[in-house]
Amino acid sequence: MKKIGKGIGLSYYGTGYGNGFPDVSRAIIKLLPAGRIGIYCGVTEVGQGAKTSMRQIGAEVLDIDIENIDLVHEDTSLMPDSGTAAATRQTYNTGNAIKIACENMKKELLEKAKIELNLNSTSGLTLEKGEVILSFFPQKRISYKKLSEIYYNDVIIEAKGEFTAQTTEMDKETGQGAPYWPYTFNACAVEVEVDTETGIVNILKSTFAQDAGRAVNPMLLEGQMDGGFAMGLGYTLFEDLNLDKGIMKNNRFSKYLIPTAMDMVDINNIIVEDPEPTAPYGAKGIGEPVTIPIAPAILNAIYDAVGVRIKELPVTPEKLIKHLRGCKENR
Amino acid sequence: MDLNVVGKNIIRVDAYSKVTGKALYPQDIYLEDMVYGKVLRSTKPHGKIKVDITEAEKVKGILKIFTYKDVPKENKYGVVLKDHEVFVSEKVVRIGEPIAFIVGETQEICEEAYEKIIVDYEELNAVFDPIEAMKEDSPIVHGDSNIILHYKLRHGDIEEGKKKCKYIVENIYRSPMVEHAFLQPEAGLSYLEEDGTVVVAVATQYPHYDREEIAINLGLPEEKIKVINTNIGGAFGAREDISVQIHLALAAIVLRRPIKIIFSREESFLAHSKRHPMVMKYKTGADENGFLQYMEAEIIGDSGAHASWAINVLRKAGVHATGPYVIPNVNVDSYAVYTNNPFTGAMRGFGATQVSIAYEQQIDELAVKLGMDPIEIRMKNIFRKGSMTATGQILTDSVPLDKCIEAVDKEFQFSRKLEVESI
Amino acid sequence: MVNISLIVNEKLFEVSVSENLRLIDLLRDELGLIGTKEGCGEGECGACTVIMDGETVNSCLVMAFQANGSNILTIEGMEKEGKIHPIQQAYIDVGAVQCGFCIPGMVLSTKALLDKKPHPSKDEIREGISGNLCRCTGYNKMIYAAEKAIEYMEEGK
Repeated sequence: MKKIGKGIGLSYYGTGYGNGFPDVSRAIIKLLPAGRIGIYCGVTEVGQGAKTSMRQIGAEVLDIDIENIDLVHEDTSLMPDSGTAAATRQTYNTGNAIKIACENMKKELLEKAKIELNLNSTSGLTLEKGEVILSFFPQKRISYKKLSEIYYNDVIIEAKGEFTAQTTEMDKETGQGAPYWPYTFNACAVEVEVDTETGIVNILKSTFAQDAGRAVNPMLLEGQMDGGFAMGLGYTLFEDLNLDKGIMKNNRFSKYLIPTAMDMVDINNIIVEDPEPTAPYGAKGIGEPVTIPIAPAILNAIYDAVGVRIKELPVTPEKLIKHLRGCKENR
Repeated sequence: MDLNVVGKNIIRVDAYSKVTGKALYPQDIYLEDMVYGKVLRSTKPHGKIKVDITEAEKVKGILKIFTYKDVPKENKYGVVLKDHEVFVSEKVVRIGEPIAFIVGETQEICEEAYEKIIVDYEELNAVFDPIEAMKEDSPIVHGDSNIILHYKLRHGDIEEGKKKCKYIVENIYRSPMVEHAFLQPEAGLSYLEEDGTVVVAVATQYPHYDREEIAINLGLPEEKIKVINTNIGGAFGAREDISVQIHLALAAIVLRRPIKIIFSREESFLAHSKRHPMVMKYKTGADENGFLQYMEAEIIGDSGAHASWAINVLRKAGVHATGPYVIPNVNVDSYAVYTNNPFTGAMRGFGATQVSIAYEQQIDELAVKLGMDPIEIRMKNIFRKGSMTATGQILTDSVPLDKCIEAVDKEFQFSRKLEVESI
Repeated sequence: MVNISLIVNEKLFEVSVSENLRLIDLLRDELGLIGTKEGCGEGECGACTVIMDGETVNSCLVMAFQANGSNILTIEGMEKEGKIHPIQQAYIDVGAVQCGFCIPGMVLSTKALLDKKPHPSKDEIREGISGNLCRCTGYNKMIYAAEKAIEYMEEGK
């Protein structure tokens, strides 16, 4: 018999290394030839989209197209250390560092524009589409390109930025403290179909709401949500190393099964925005959180479908059948 | 806030190179006069070893076989505790530890030499269950205790909390060891620049950390090391620990030839960390109105043979053990424990992906006992702006969990289902 | 050694290969077509997918000599006169790419599917790419990309 059930899972997740450990990101901004902006920053692109989202933050501050940004982030001899691409910290931590560095760069650009435009002050100067402009007399303007022709080699225009997250070390006896900041929240609901004969669980549909503070790039964020769901699904239903006396018996893809396109369903992804004041444009990290509520949502849905609470992952068909039979015997 | 770029669906800057197959991962880089490397790994979970490379070294086309004796400096590394050896010097603590690094003109030559290395094991008693490993009489993996961390969370008064509960649910949950299964197996290259700087091209989550470990183990100043991060074929936490970096740099420096290594999928499984399996004993109680009053949890995480991020993972599991709920009286004890299993470390969710299967099932069980629907009980207890977590932290801003729940409930109608059933 | 000739991306190659050389090694190591990726070496992940005489194959499971006389399309051959294929464009536009390692194989599996069945259902798309593993995207944007590619091809984009 096929039975249908639905379940919900919530989670929250603290960003960063945490527990008072210095969590530092750094960035250097340079005005490059042809008015391009160089962002030098040890931010790693693992597939999550850092190459794009970090440029977006820089482009926002300096009001240029992302095509005019060179992100130098792959060579330790050229870029400052910005910590690891982990702990859901790049958007928040390194995004902050880039934003701060670009804001410092903006001050530099205004200063140099003041000199070149023969002004007495930077007051009223703004950045607009790759130019510094006196807002109330726009004839007074100078492009980044022009500035880059004046300031090159030794007198290049550059600025730095650094961001250190605020956390405290927890008390050793009580665990009291502020171990992470900020926290990201989410809720995932799933509907499953359980085949009580075979023990196979199919996901029928899901609605997944993810708090992002602010989405830097909604399309990238949805990709993370889909991917996090799939990883959570594999964790819940089939991934098993079959560990025996320290040996991983399932040590390859023919034995260690991860979800395929056939295992996934369309997810109704909802991005919830509530900007975080200490974050760059309010954007919090979501890379890890998107995996966390999936397993409990599926487990709660299985319970709703067949009245069996599975307390050990993965919920393989054999395990579920065993539990279903156990349930009948108890009755 | 009026934003021009942030918040927009900007096309990924690396999408074009990836859809055309032009994006370079370490395995895609070929250098002139390049040699190949292969790692010999331990096949026993616990034991003292003697290694004989004499016959293997004689294989034609072998340039050198590196063992611990060839590591100029520390021969130990690790993201928190330095409990990995570049090459095992005396005792293996898991299956898959690097023992030797074979460098030859081709991969086939390396394979041939690999078969000729003799490793004698004097096997030691091993421990595979973290609960067993916590006992006094357990075999010891490193140092004098297998317990790497005991994190304690004490909030409110649990005896008082218990008294306020109408229902308490008690369960033990178990989560498995999980593989990251990124699609690109580990690979890397190393070569020397003209001024003697050693370059390591690798797919890593943290190039500056890699540089530091290479420097410490090879006794080089960091300025003489350049780590180049290529395209990375997924990571999920498994590229935080060292894999190929130190071996490659060592060989490039000694042999003065460019060197490349590519792991097979099986070796990739052996080489990197896994998700910590956890045993989670939970007691959660609510009063007659459905407010959570009490929670106790004991969480034991299997770190396997190396600590990697165990301290941070089990601490994070402990902090997140309550789930996103206000619970005034909480005791949590979380432990990270060495065993002779494959080592565990960072994986997406880092301890929080384990505890969620416990706290979210606990609350659903309480809802059943209280005759509440899953939304009602959650809405009564969730973190909101101004809430205090069990560590005493105030959530001052950006706590839109209620909005998340409302968004999913709008589609799923959890509350309506209950009404229909009660009719 | 065996002498073979084969067409790869519309170019004829005549090469001498050893009996134990796999097609993937020929493509990558000999012909420099590094867009074909190796993810597992046992035909499970599909990262090494190429189209051989109209059918997708895992090039890690095909020996090079078995490709004698065949016509092979790799990801490098999807680009025509500097213009990428509508499937590739759709992958870019809908955000179906993350780490990218599975993408060449995924794109080729999608092409083979659409060549045979220009209007597949969503389930047929899921099935068509189910031999290709991806750990990043959860596949949904790839399915959307296939649908988008169909639109593009109809518009003659």
